[in-house]
Parts: sequence; structure tokens; C-alpha cells
Amino acid sequence: MRFLISLCASAFLCAAQTPPPAATQASENGRVVFRIYCAPCHGIHAQGGRGPDLTRGTYAAGDTDADLHRTIVSGVTGTEMPGFPDFSQNIVGDLVAYIRSAAQREPPQIKGSFKDGEALFWAKGGCGACHKIGSKGGTLGPDLTRAGRQRSYAYLLESVVHPDADISPGFETITVVTRDGKKIVGVHRGYDNFNALLVDQAGKFYSFDKNEVTSAKQEYRSLMPGTYAKLFSPAELDDVLAYLMTLKGVQ
Amino acid sequence: MKPSSLICLLLIVPALAQAPEDWTTYGKNNAGWRFSELTSINTNNVPSLAPAWIRQFGSNGGNETTPLVVGGLMYLTGPSNTAWALDARTGQAIWSYKKASPAGLNLCCGQVNRGFALQGDKLFKVNIEGVLVALEAKSGVTLWETKIADYKKGYSATAAPLMVKNLVVTGIAGAEFGTRGFVEAYYADTGKRAWRFDTVAAEGDPGAASWGGDSWKRGGASTWITGTYDPELNLIYWGTGNPGPDMNGDVRPGDNLYTCSMVALDAETGKLKWHYQFTPHDLHDWDAISDPVLANLTVKGKPVKALIQANRNGFFYALDRTNGKFLHARAYTKVTWADSIGPDGKPVLIGGNEPSEEGTRTCPGLGGGHNWQAQAYSPQTGLLYFPSSQHCMLFYKTKQDYLDGQWYQASTVGENEHGVGSIIAIDPATGDTKWHFDMVSGTSAGMLATAGGLVFGSDGQGYLIAFNARTGKVLWKFQTGAPVAAPPISYAINGRQYVAVMSGQSLIAFAVPK
Repeated sequence: MRFLISLCASAFLCAAQTPPPAATQASENGRVVFRIYCAPCHGIHAQGGRGPDLTRGTYAAGDTDADLHRTIVSGVTGTEMPGFPDFSQNIVGDLVAYIRSAAQREPPQIKGSFKDGEALFWAKGGCGACHKIGSKGGTLGPDLTRAGRQRSYAYLLESVVHPDADISPGFETITVVTRDGKKIVGVHRGYDNFNALLVDQAGKFYSFDKNEVTSAKQEYRSLMPGTYAKLFSPAELDDVLAYLMTLKGVQ
Repeated sequence: MKPSSLICLLLIVPALAQAPEDWTTYGKNNAGWRFSELTSINTNNVPSLAPAWIRQFGSNGGNETTPLVVGGLMYLTGPSNTAWALDARTGQAIWSYKKASPAGLNLCCGQVNRGFALQGDKLFKVNIEGVLVALEAKSGVTLWETKIADYKKGYSATAAPLMVKNLVVTGIAGAEFGTRGFVEAYYADTGKRAWRFDTVAAEGDPGAASWGGDSWKRGGASTWITGTYDPELNLIYWGTGNPGPDMNGDVRPGDNLYTCSMVALDAETGKLKWHYQFTPHDLHDWDAISDPVLANLTVKGKPVKALIQANRNGFFYALDRTNGKFLHARAYTKVTWADSIGPDGKPVLIGGNEPSEEGTRTCPGLGGGHNWQAQAYSPQTGLLYFPSSQHCMLFYKTKQDYLDGQWYQASTVGENEHGVGSIIAIDPATGDTKWHFDMVSGTSAGMLATAGGLVFGSDGQGYLIAFNARTGKVLWKFQTGAPVAAPPISYAINGRQYVAVMSGQSLIAFAVPK
């Protein structure tokens, strides 16, 4: 066959998982299909990654079987979730059976205070300089308005502590050195074999022809400081995570 | 063969071979060179190349077609059983063809189609549901339809047919659905079947012992890219795809003939003359379907009629096409599964590359070092040109029961590394890489070589690029506005040379401005 994974590249966060309940034939079939089409974003064990954790038993686009069917077939507008209109009803049914079997229905333990976390996010952390929540905040980093729906707890924790662990597409770091020796570092706005487009930390947009600069490179690292595990105490980190997990979209 | 077809053949075949301004078969010639003898676009004036016209089709799905051009008309196929004839000078549509595809198709890779075959006043294409169609070239009217496979069992059809004398030779897709591949030939005038070669060896075939139990019944080996033909040897060469289930070999012990192989078939009978298996007992979906390019080389001082291919498993191969003997192979991308290909033509395996429950990292990844993208061979430079990926993946094995017509892979892959790509020029006589153009990713686009000293290819981000064929220097580029998943072609009308390629939903024809 030609291409199997065309949806998105991903990093697997293979966290230890409890085995799912006794699998039915449908859920086992679903697991196979899930591994092929869904695991790249939702994780090999449905535990989430770049896509939401599906083991929580509660889903952004609705919790009924009909909601899950619709989400799989049509995707979710405005998110990275594509639709799979070519899937037969049987395949979708198998996927839903698998997702149900994988759902542990135990929400992750959230220890911190989301109120304190909100204050830390905007003040001490200065996170809003680059991240937007609703209409507030900067645009250099990913929009976190729906972070609590879109990402798993483990993924968000890793992203705060180790920002380089997995870079969302479109947030790579681009470094250009111009012919007059100036070094410009910023976030990806376009990078191909001939061009480098970026926005620097002041928000200024640059468009370079790679043939007209001394060097241009794209790196799969984040411009976000890797110092938050030091800046925040463990208790503060719990608070910030508690806040991020409450972010489920503008009401 | 009927006397009438013989006369037709005598008139047409030399004419086709003598028309550098036309492009009348998938690979430009029977040997799959994709080499245009036209020289009016060349290394001197290519920097001024510009669009002459653009035709937007607005069709859904991937466009992977190789357009054909003859007598000033361009014939091209689109996704979802569509096709058009265009005025090749202006892009104006002359006729269109559309046939609704049935519901319930089982497809790995979309409703794509890779082009027409042409003979005289007839065009031939496959429809996605496994139907071979003949159209009247001047009208697009259907002359006959023949069912070649059952889509309900997981078969589909995407490749451009190959004309061999009065036969339309076609392959099939569907190795992800427990199907069994084949190459078939149909009479051009009636649509009746002349012969069939099953690419999975069954009981009674010498290769049957290479399949444990009855696993051959779901053995895969689809034939989804057009083969080539040597009229002197009267042999058809066709590459075969992965065994089924793809990355789980537990249920199919043995070498699994004739999967991941090159087969040479007698053009009259379809009987197997020889086979060579690139990847015995494949576990990584490394189809060997890429167009088999036929070139006469001098290898270690001796002239040899060779067949050359940049295989998906990461090695470039040269075979003796008279008998299938292995000549040499060389890795052209990062390879972790084999040290080399031994003098006996068998890979020297590196252990620990079997797919597993928790994932095994192997390079190249599932898409391979070079997949189906059309290669080009220039007799001017003696080099073979192809796009390549450098990419590793995690291969997972799962359990899955076979259900008739359903996805049957029992395995999957994951990515956790960022791959890169390149366009490579290889000396097929030695396997040495002569130049490479490194890219930020792989590409689905194929190649074109011309007597103007040029090679055309596309990157994965929409640029059509012209290279100096000898040095690899970029001489020209154009952002087409969408990723290119097809190979470019070249043709001429009234002495004016064009380079044309499908990009996104549009056909763009380039020429040097008057």
C-alpha cells in the first residue's frame, strides 16, 4: 500500500496503562482500526497525546454513541480532528466499542487549585505573553483556549516541564542568519526548500528567500523556556495544571 | 492475433516510437524512461519557463495521473472515475468522462487514477471499482467495459494500463484487504481476456511452498503501478506489492512468492519467464511496484540488458532482464534492516527488525525509501532519477481475523521522528549516487528527464523544479500552489515545447514565453 499515516506525525507517550476490560470481537476489531487511524494523535492506547485522552469516558463533541459516530465520520470543525467519511458503519461501530472499552471512567487526579493556577499562569509564569486563552494573551505559542479538552493531563504536564518533547505542527523554531550577520530567531510561519517565514518574539513577521541569506534552519524545539519546573514549586505546578485542565473552550 | 490488428500494429507502433512531440504511454516509452527527446526547453532558457495555461478541474481527491498527448490533444484521468480530453495548446476541454463509482469501496489510498493507455483511436483506463474501460479517443464515448475484479472483496484499480501489441495489460490493487494480486491482458478491440498471471503462487505453482498453510489465499501482491515491455525479448515486466497481512508475517511463514518481486511475463501467454524477489517474507509493506526501468548498461565492462529500480526497501537494484539474475544493489537511503544485498541477490538481514506489540523501529519507514513515484532515465546522462525519503518508523504487530473484503493488516505503524527527503541521481551501472537535492520532506511527485539536459521533479510543498540533469543544480522553480502527486510530462505543438503536470486540482502547462 501507499501511505498509511497521512493525518499527522506524532510522538507517542506510551504511559503505563491498565489493560482494557475483556475485549469483545467488535472492540478488538476497533482496536486494530484505532491503532492505524487514531493512534497517531490519540496515542497507541487511546491515552491521548496531541489529541485528547479518550480513556476518560467524556468527550468534547458529545458522549453518546451517536455523538462518537458523528465525530468519527465528520470530524470536529475548527480542531485537528478530521472526519473519516469512507469508514463503513461497521468500522465506526467497532471503533466506538473500542473507545468504550478503553475508557477507564476514572478522571485523572487533579491535585492543585485551578484558581491559584490561573493567577500563576498570568502573573508569575508570564504564560500569556505567548499563549492565548479566549481573547486574552499572545499568539507566539499555541492557543490554549481548549487545552483541557484537546490534550491529556500527562501531555500538558510534559509540555510545561519539557517544552521540546513534542512540538505542535506550526510551532517549530526557525533561525535565520542574514548576509549582514544578523541572527533572527522565531516561530515557524512557513518553511520549505526555498523559503523561511517566521515571526520573532516581538511579533514581527519575516519572509526570506533561503538563497539570499547566509543560513536558515528549522528545528523541532520550542521557543518556550525550559525552566518552568524550576520557576514553579511542585505545588504551583499542580495548580497550573489544574487550571489548564479547566480550559475547555469559550462558553 | 487477427490480421486486422496486425496491420494496425504495424502502422501504429513505429509511428508512436517516432513522435517525440507526443507522449503516448505511461512511461513515455515501453522501457519506462520518461525521457522526452525535445530540446527547445533546455539548460539555457529554462530560467524563463512560465505557465502557458492552467486548467482547474475542481475534482475531489488526489491527482496522480500521467497525461497522454497525441496530435495536439491531451488525455488525462482524474480521481473518482473521471477523465478529460483537452486542447494541449490552450487547456480548453474537448470532452469529459464520468462514471459514478459504487458505494462500499474498500480503498487503502483514495479514489486515485494514474492515467490512460492509448492505441489508435482508443483510450483505455481502469475505474476504481475494478472495471477496465475503452473510450473512443475523439468523443470519450465508452466502447466497452470489462470487470476485472470484485470491489466487494477488497479489490480496486488505479494504475494506467500498458499497451503491448493488441493487448491492454492491467494490474490491480487491494493487498490490504486479503486479496490476491494478478496481471491480466485484454484484447484491445473486444475487451475479452487473453491471459492472467496470478502474482500469489497457488497450489501447483513451484512457488506455492513459500506460503504456510492456505495463507496464499489472502496473499496480496497487488500490481498497482504500470509495468514495462521489451519487444525484443517479448517480455512484460511488472512489480508486485506487499504480502497480506502487511506487517504481520506470523500467519504466512515462508518467502511468500511472488510478493515484493519483479516478474517477467511472456507477452503472448502471460506465463512466468523469471522472477526476482527483492524482499522475501516482507514485514514492512515494501511493495516492489515502482516502474521497472529497462536500460542497456555496461556493468563491470560487460554490456547487459538491465532492469533497474529504486526499491521501496531502501536499495537500488540492477537485474539482468533476460533472466532475472541479480547484478548489484546499493542502499540509497538510511537502511537498518539489512547490511547489504549478497552476491546471491538475497538481503543480508540485521536481526531485531520484526514488528512487535510495543513497536519496533526500522528504517526506511512504511512508505519506503522510494515508493511508487515515477522514475526517469536519461540516455543522455546515463542516470536514473527518483525522489527519496529518509524516514524511520515504529512497526506494530496486532491480532486480526480475516473477514471477506475487510481491511486485513494485523499491524500498524507509528511515527515519532521527522523524516527528510531528496531527489537522487544514481548511476545504474554502479549504484553510485551522482548528485542529490536534499529536501525538507519526501514527495509524492514523479520525475521527467529531457534531451534539453534537464530533469523535472517536485518537492512536497508544491514547487515544480528544473535541475541540470548532470549536476543537480536548480535552474528554475515555480510554486504551483498545491502539493504535486503526479509526474510531469513534456510535449510539443507546432514546434513549441511544453512541460505539464497535475498539481492539486489543476493541470499546469509551462512553456518559454514567445
